[in-house]
Amino acid sequence: MTIRPIIGMGAVAATGSGVGELFENLCAGVSGRAGLRGFDRTRFRAQYAYEVDDRPAPGVDVAGRASRLLHEAIAQAAADAGLGEDLSGIPILVGTGLRELRSLELWWRDGSPFADSGLHFGTGLKERFNADVTHTFSNACSASLYALALGSDLLDQEGEDAPDTVIVAGVDVLTESMYGLLERVHPTPPDRVRPFDRNRTGVLMGDGAAAIVLRRTEDGAPRVHGRLRGVAVNCDAYHVTAPSPEGIAEAMRAAHSLAGVKPADVDLVMLHGTGTLLNDEAEAAALAAVLGDDASAPLMTAVKSMTGHTSGASGLINLIIGVQALDEGRVPPTVGLDEPVEEAAPFRFVTGRAAADPSLRVAQLNAFGFGGINAVAIVEGT
Amino acid sequence: MNTDTTVVVTGAAVLLPGADSVRALADGPAPGGAPVDPAAHVGRKGLRYKDRATQLGYALTAAALRDAGLLGADEKEGITVPAASIGVVASSNFGNLDTVARALDTLREETVTATSPMDLPNASSNVIASSAAIRYGLRGPNLMVCNGETSGLDAVHWAATLITAGRAGRVLVLGVEPDNEVVRRLLGGERAVDGGAALVVESRAAAAARSATVRAVLGGYRRGAGEAAARGRRWELPAHLGRASGAAGLLQVAAAVGFFDAGEPGPVQAVTGTADGDARADLLLLAPEAA
Repeated sequence: MTIRPIIGMGAVAATGSGVGELFENLCAGVSGRAGLRGFDRTRFRAQYAYEVDDRPAPGVDVAGRASRLLHEAIAQAAADAGLGEDLSGIPILVGTGLRELRSLELWWRDGSPFADSGLHFGTGLKERFNADVTHTFSNACSASLYALALGSDLLDQEGEDAPDTVIVAGVDVLTESMYGLLERVHPTPPDRVRPFDRNRTGVLMGDGAAAIVLRRTEDGAPRVHGRLRGVAVNCDAYHVTAPSPEGIAEAMRAAHSLAGVKPADVDLVMLHGTGTLLNDEAEAAALAAVLGDDASAPLMTAVKSMTGHTSGASGLINLIIGVQALDEGRVPPTVGLDEPVEEAAPFRFVTGRAAADPSLRVAQLNAFGFGGINAVAIVEGT
Repeated sequence: MNTDTTVVVTGAAVLLPGADSVRALADGPAPGGAPVDPAAHVGRKGLRYKDRATQLGYALTAAALRDAGLLGADEKEGITVPAASIGVVASSNFGNLDTVARALDTLREETVTATSPMDLPNASSNVIASSAAIRYGLRGPNLMVCNGETSGLDAVHWAATLITAGRAGRVLVLGVEPDNEVVRRLLGGERAVDGGAALVVESRAAAAARSATVRAVLGGYRRGAGEAAARGRRWELPAHLGRASGAAGLLQVAAAVGFFDAGEPGPVQAVTGTADGDARADLLLLAPEAA
């Protein structure tokens, strides 16, 4: 694949709205963790999440929050790229784990209005941005990096129908069913997200959305934030919920190959780092195997320690924070990481305060999802 | 460098009440057909804890892979090509709504402790695509398209995109919609098809390399706000079968394969979505001679 400029970025998560605010808060170690805001807490053992605090009244959930966050991120990215608010004809690829299933839940139990045309994001994107080439991919926690792979493939196409500009986005908000079923499989209810820590108790969900504008060439772009060098996607075909270190390692090697980088070229790894009991060891083992002698070279961080697990949005949030880190030479810390798991022993985690390093050039971003669907991207700074 | 970007169909399968082949689909299934029984197609093993859409997806996947000559009679022997060469793109809008609603009912009426941990994978909307990959060892890119009425044709488009981008030599494309209480309530009482269709699409070179029979050739695809100009014969699902939603596009392509198998010249134009919905998509299917 060809290297493509990233000319617009937008993001919103529990820790802030707008790339600048989000990045500053993450660098300052600000966590979005708070008591559950939109659900009846008496139904759950776990009591915390990383939600965007945008509900009109405390304790009362409203439909359409995923779409609202998605629109906010896309509007930011489009404005940043100078595209304006009419996005007709521009492909918008949205990666999500849970679509508008929260709105379905509120319809099913609480009688809020809902139609099947509201399960995916195209209908709302048409109303808001006049967008008509819209695609919703429900690819679990690697969804937005899968969407990124497909977006970059569109830009590689030739012919008069081939687009010059593609918007790639990711979004998820908590659903009651996923929040409940995720905590159900933990022996003790998770209390906070502590990626790669020996004493972590598991994963908690977070709300978030992210969007970037990718362009075929840099001509006429108001700014270039960074460049996408390559994205690899695969499937372990191993288990519906358990990850496979071999499948993850294959995706990393394929990404390096597509991007034309060697392990020694990677300066920063934005880890998937969910804090689940299975992910972190599998990710660390795969990464250590792929980096080999260079495993101690790159800086590493897992921002889910502050955003929670934003599922389908998380890959692209990693990309945006990674690009910003390369641009500013600062890397947010992994909050709550005190004693790394054995598999991660060689790694140079950023903990405590943000790390400063103006020489960072290349970042690797990881995202892995249920069903063993793995996506790894490589970006470089300007 | 191989500059041939042609993508062809080398396998197709249909499972609907009243139709279990592309020919039966093209002819128009009669009313009163029996519901599809996935266990009759793939055995009972491994179906427990899988939702209806995933079970239907297994049966369609096996049938399409066999039709394409990629899977023998005994599925335990596995596929006949390298695992990483086959991707999966699945399309469904209603696939896991039953799991989501049931888990929510349990949470609201009892507590989280009463929910079943076996529901966790089914709560993720990509379970259809990933389960097909796991059961049949398909290790290429794995994508779940939940894009409303145009999903099925969008899925074929993304499968072709994965192939032309060099990410997979061939892709199993699957469209399925289950029928259940949650879906019917969402559709105002209307039923969903409770079945679907699957295809194997390949680059022309990959099909030729294994001497596969080409059953149809993919022509142009377009998604947008405007009406699609008529470019070929159209086939419509009989209304008695219910809403096809994410399976609609795949069923139209499967019907086109049924026409071409019977020697009809084509082309066939598959059309999904409406101009007053979020968009329309259309895809042209050409007879094998066009390859």
